[in-house]
Amino acid sequence: MRARWLVAVIGALALAGCGSDTGTSVGGDPDPERVGPQGRVAQFIVQCEVSHIAFDDPIVLPWQPGASHQHQFFGNAETNADPGYERVIGADTSCDQRLDTASYWSPTLLDADGSRIDAQKLTAYYRPGQGVDPADVVAYPPGFMMVAGSSAADEPQGQDVIAWSCGSGAVRADTPPECSLGTTLRLWITFPDCWDSSRLTSFGSGAHVRYSDDGCPESHPLALPQLQMAIDFPPVAPDGLALSSGPIHSAHADFWNTWDQDKLEREVAVCLNRGLVCGLSG
Amino acid sequence: MKKLIALMAGAALTMAACGGSDVSETDDASFESGGATETEAPATDAPPTDPPVSEPAATEPGGTDAPPETEPAAEGDSDGVLNVPDEFATIQEAVDAAVAGDLVLIAPGVYNEAVDVVTDEIVIRGLEREGVVLDGELELDNGIRVLGAKGVAVENLTTQNYTNNGVFFTSADGYRASYVTAYRIGDYGVYAFDSINGQIEHSYGAGSPDAGLYIGQCFPCNAVVDDFLAEHNGLGYSGTNAGGNLTIANSTFRFNRAGIVPNSGSYELCYPQRDNLIVGNTVYSNNNPNTPAIDVAMLAMGNGVVAAGGIGNTIERNLIYDHDKTGIALVPFLEEGANDDLPTEDEWAQTCADQREQPLADEIPEQLLWEPYGNTVRDNAISDSRVADIAVEAVSEPTGGLENCFLGNDITSSAPAALETLAPCGSEAVPADDEAWSVEPLNVLTWLTDAENAPPSVDYEIAELPPIPDLDDMPDAATAPAEPATDMPRSIDVDAITTPAR
Repeated sequence: MRARWLVAVIGALALAGCGSDTGTSVGGDPDPERVGPQGRVAQFIVQCEVSHIAFDDPIVLPWQPGASHQHQFFGNAETNADPGYERVIGADTSCDQRLDTASYWSPTLLDADGSRIDAQKLTAYYRPGQGVDPADVVAYPPGFMMVAGSSAADEPQGQDVIAWSCGSGAVRADTPPECSLGTTLRLWITFPDCWDSSRLTSFGSGAHVRYSDDGCPESHPLALPQLQMAIDFPPVAPDGLALSSGPIHSAHADFWNTWDQDKLEREVAVCLNRGLVCGLSG
Repeated sequence: MKKLIALMAGAALTMAACGGSDVSETDDASFESGGATETEAPATDAPPTDPPVSEPAATEPGGTDAPPETEPAAEGDSDGVLNVPDEFATIQEAVDAAVAGDLVLIAPGVYNEAVDVVTDEIVIRGLEREGVVLDGELELDNGIRVLGAKGVAVENLTTQNYTNNGVFFTSADGYRASYVTAYRIGDYGVYAFDSINGQIEHSYGAGSPDAGLYIGQCFPCNAVVDDFLAEHNGLGYSGTNAGGNLTIANSTFRFNRAGIVPNSGSYELCYPQRDNLIVGNTVYSNNNPNTPAIDVAMLAMGNGVVAAGGIGNTIERNLIYDHDKTGIALVPFLEEGANDDLPTEDEWAQTCADQREQPLADEIPEQLLWEPYGNTVRDNAISDSRVADIAVEAVSEPTGGLENCFLGNDITSSAPAALETLAPCGSEAVPADDEAWSVEPLNVLTWLTDAENAPPSVDYEIAELPPIPDLDDMPDAATAPAEPATDMPRSIDVDAITTPAR
């Protein structure tokens, strides 16, 4: 169970502008069903290598090439500052599921000297959110965009949004732990999974999406797959680690649905809606 | 198994240095998810925003190279046989139209499809095993994926060049794969996950970095593997947390990095791995450096049968030869990044269904050490093992305390020495603190170094594979009636199985 669910701050209420709460989940523990063994919760997964590195962000800084902090992109090979959906749909992908041409990106990890530590791979887990009836989950609409976590954070964001671990272990931490050579340093980013059913993007504000907590709120009633990105790095020493977006607590990630839409809808229907595990990854 | 696992010296020290269970909470964060610094931006040219309807697509993108029909019949001719491509242009269309008891009968051709099956008790059969080829072209994920449907049988066809699995059953109660070939596959050739009451027979898996054959997360599994050939894979057979009336018999595992590897881990349910019967198999030359291989395959390389943290398995009457390390080894498994604590001994009999309902441990360690307990190794014929024909070793406790036993094996070496005298089946073992247990030990920790120095994995997409051997076709494929997998597994006369001759 998601342990805590903080009601929105006043500023966020204003931002939403529609009389709803913003329901952003912060400060909570990870859901045990999602940190324990796979097999309890329906899921499909995709694994991707880094596609490219760029100072671009088509969600937050569209049409401003080179204006962002450094990002590592996974999946769609053509993602850059241009948010044109038709331009990237059908492009090559760095994911093993070749019909997953979606775009995933996050800030890069930097060592104490400011040198980039290259990510080894991304595992994208798609599951029903907490308290959501798997049969109710619908696919992201084409072109849907969202962000998880805050690039401005300078303190822990809550492990149900941002967490670190060694490999896929259930022991999660707010900051990178020291991991042994036989494993990886893993960053987990958990995305909102409830949608207002109208807006494809809120350009980084998060107003169009919420986290589920025993289902989706009335303001954002449509249950989407809950995307959890797990980015593996080599098990580097944690001292002095930072992100290209700032301190280590500024972890966040972006998702742009440029999947092959038929395939995405099929995975949601046959895996999530039927409550099945369609793949595992450590 | 897909976990990154390593056997390491000084495991306890490492555990202590890795942060333990320091999961902190934060109650007072108060910023908006999505980024306070992120700015508004113009709309994109993305399509309209109507919520999508999540119905399965009628067909998988990729189409088929089989002769297409311009107007496929909607329901075939109601004889219970749905012919592809004569009546249905694609396998998926036929499968979607089939009802329980139907036979989807596929004519020779190359079908670039990833077929999903959600209908109970249908049979999908190729007219020719070699001639009916589902080809993922290294683009599509699974050749045939059976999703929670009961009693589905897949027969007499070839799957090749899929990024994930050749034939994949998930959460199936009743399943069967017969005369199936899986060749050059990104994860597993034939794969049954969270599935029970199954039969995998007369089938073949080659060219997978993980395993040619994998059964995972079931207890009791109630399944039989009979006459499987696995070669040129990372592992011939892998079985994470799979056991309970699970028999692997009369099969051949050769030229993989390692042969038969039942194993325990907490990254999927139903731990620990328990109660396999491995009998009458031929296991040889599993030292192949040229295969694709996940890390565990690198670690297990050069062994015929490895029970890695397995419990209560019986390994008997197998012919095993030519291995750089051991013929049969019972070894611990150090799992990094644990997802639960080790089950206690009184939980070893717990069914998978019961475990699913159990909460996780309050304190979860960073690492788990799964030791091999209570396995029986008897009456095997093992030769030409460069380290030892049979071997056992523990790390967290005395090796002699694990209650494994060894009897009647045709061997010339063991680790520790005189293992059949130390721990004979049916009579008392030498006490665990007897120094005889320390004579010529296995030294399993050296496997870690060996794995680091082993020839690297070869990308499965380009790994050199031998041509598919001449494999039996299903008898009377054109005329045999549909036999859904409703009464699986088939009975198998285990007592009649003899050790294969070399």
